[in-house]
Amino acid sequence: MATIRLELVTPDKGEVLSKDIDMLIVRSTAGELGILPRHARLLTELLPHAMRVKTGANEDLVAIGGGFMEVTPEQITILADSAELPDGIDVDRAKAAMKRAEERIAEYKRATKDSLIDIDRANKALARAKARLLVKHVTF
Amino acid sequence: MANLQNIRRRIRSVKSIQKITNAMDMIARSRFNAARDTLLSNIPYVEKTREILTRLMTQMNSSESESPFIMSRQELIEAQGRTDGKFLFLVIASDKGLAGAYSSNVFKEAHATIEYDGTSPTGESKEENFHKQNVDALKNMTGIDADQLRAQKSFAKAGGRRTPNKTVNVAQEYHDADYIEGIELITVGRKATGHFKQRGYNIIKNYSGISERPSYQYAKEIADLIIERFMSGEIIDVTMIYTRFNSAISCTPDDVTLLPLVTDDYPSENNAKEEYIYEPDVVSVLNDFLPRRIATRIYGAMLHSAASELSSRMNAMSNATDNAQELVGKLNLYYNKVRQAGITNEINEIVGGANALE
Repeated sequence: MATIRLELVTPDKGEVLSKDIDMLIVRSTAGELGILPRHARLLTELLPHAMRVKTGANEDLVAIGGGFMEVTPEQITILADSAELPDGIDVDRAKAAMKRAEERIAEYKRATKDSLIDIDRANKALARAKARLLVKHVTF
Repeated sequence: MANLQNIRRRIRSVKSIQKITNAMDMIARSRFNAARDTLLSNIPYVEKTREILTRLMTQMNSSESESPFIMSRQELIEAQGRTDGKFLFLVIASDKGLAGAYSSNVFKEAHATIEYDGTSPTGESKEENFHKQNVDALKNMTGIDADQLRAQKSFAKAGGRRTPNKTVNVAQEYHDADYIEGIELITVGRKATGHFKQRGYNIIKNYSGISERPSYQYAKEIADLIIERFMSGEIIDVTMIYTRFNSAISCTPDDVTLLPLVTDDYPSENNAKEEYIYEPDVVSVLNDFLPRRIATRIYGAMLHSAASELSSRMNAMSNATDNAQELVGKLNLYYNKVRQAGITNEINEIVGGANALE
C-alpha cells in the first residue's frame, strides 16, 4: 500500500517528525480531516489538538499547538507552533496549565464584558493542555 | 634611547587589553553556541515555510490572486502608476561594534540594494531576492500616460539616479533629500540606526537591544508594521537585508524580498496547474499564512544575524588576542635589549672609571 510522507517542523525544535505514514487525522479550522496517500493539494490552518498518525496497525498521538498544514499527493508538511511527542510531555505541567486555563475561562464568564482576560489565549491554552493530556492517555 | 619605564607601561597596557579581548572572545563564544543552536533548530521551519510558499506560488494564477500580497509584475507596475509607492527596507545589523567587518558588510550590501537603479549588471540572481526585478520592471515602464510619467519621475527619485552615467558615491549624497525621499527604512540594531540616520535616510522605526538575542515577539511586531505600511498603499516593495550564517567562519550579507509576492518570479514547472484546496477558503487561509510567513522569515533572519554577529565578534576578538600576544612578545624582547644595553653601558662606565684611576 502506498504511504505518504509526514514532515512536522516547529520554530524552536526543528524537525520533530519525518516519516512515511498510512494516514493522518487532524483537526483544522474547518473540521476534522483524514489525509490518505495521494490526497489532492490542500492548505489549511490547524487548531491546537492531538493529531493521530497511523502507520500500519499502530496509531501514534502527537500534541500540536496550532499551525498550518500543506498537503501534496506525496507529502504532508505541518508547520506547528509547538509539537510534542508523548515522551516529551510533562503530565503535571499540562494538568496545571489546564487548571489555570479553566480558571481563567471561568473568571471570564463571571466577569463583566470589559475584563482583562484574553479569552482566545485562554481557550487556546486549554486546548493545548488537553491535547497534551490526550496524547499521554491521561483522563481529565 | 627608549625609556625602560615607558616600555614597561606599554607592555602592561597591551596585556590588559589582551585580557579584555580574551574575555570578550570567551563571552562571544558561549553566546554563539546558544545562538547557533537556536538557529539550527529554526532553519527547518523557515525552509519548509519557504517550500510551501514556492509550491503555492507556482500553482497560483496571477489573475485570481485574491490576497493583497500577491500580484503579477504587470499589476505591480499598474499599482506603482496609481500610487507612486515608496520602497521599504528592513536592515538588520548589530547593537555593538567590535565584531570585525560584520556591520559594514551589511551596510555595503544595503547600499548596493537600496541604491540599485537598474544599470548594474544583474548576473547574480538570489533565490529570495526579487527587489531588483521589481526595480527593473518599474524602470522600464513605457507609454506617455501622465500617471506613469509621474511614477517614473518618482522612481528616479527613489531608486534610480538622475545622472546614471556618473558614479556618485554615498558620501556625496549625504544630504541629498530628493534622492532619499522615496525610501523608508526600518533598522534593527544601534549600529544600523546610526549609520543610516547620519546619511539622511528616513527611518520610520528603529529597534535596539534585540539583535543579539532575538525573540519571535519582535519579529511579529516588525512584520505587523511592515504589513500595515504595505496595506496603506504607500509602499510598493519591501526588502530585508540581513547576514546569512553559513558557518562559523563564513557569513554573507543577503537580501530577501518580503512583499509583494510576484507570481512571475515563480514560474510553473509544468503548465498543468493543480489547484490547491483551501480549507475553509482562499482568503482566510492566505491572510493567515502570508503574514505568518513574513514574521517567520524575519525571525529566521534575526537568528541568522545574531549567530553571524557573534561568530564575527569571536573571530575578531580571537585575532585581537593573538595580535596582542605577538605584540607583548616583541615588546618584551625590545625591553630586554634596552635593559641589557643599559647594563653594558654601566659596566663600560665603571671599567672606564677604574682605568682612569690607575
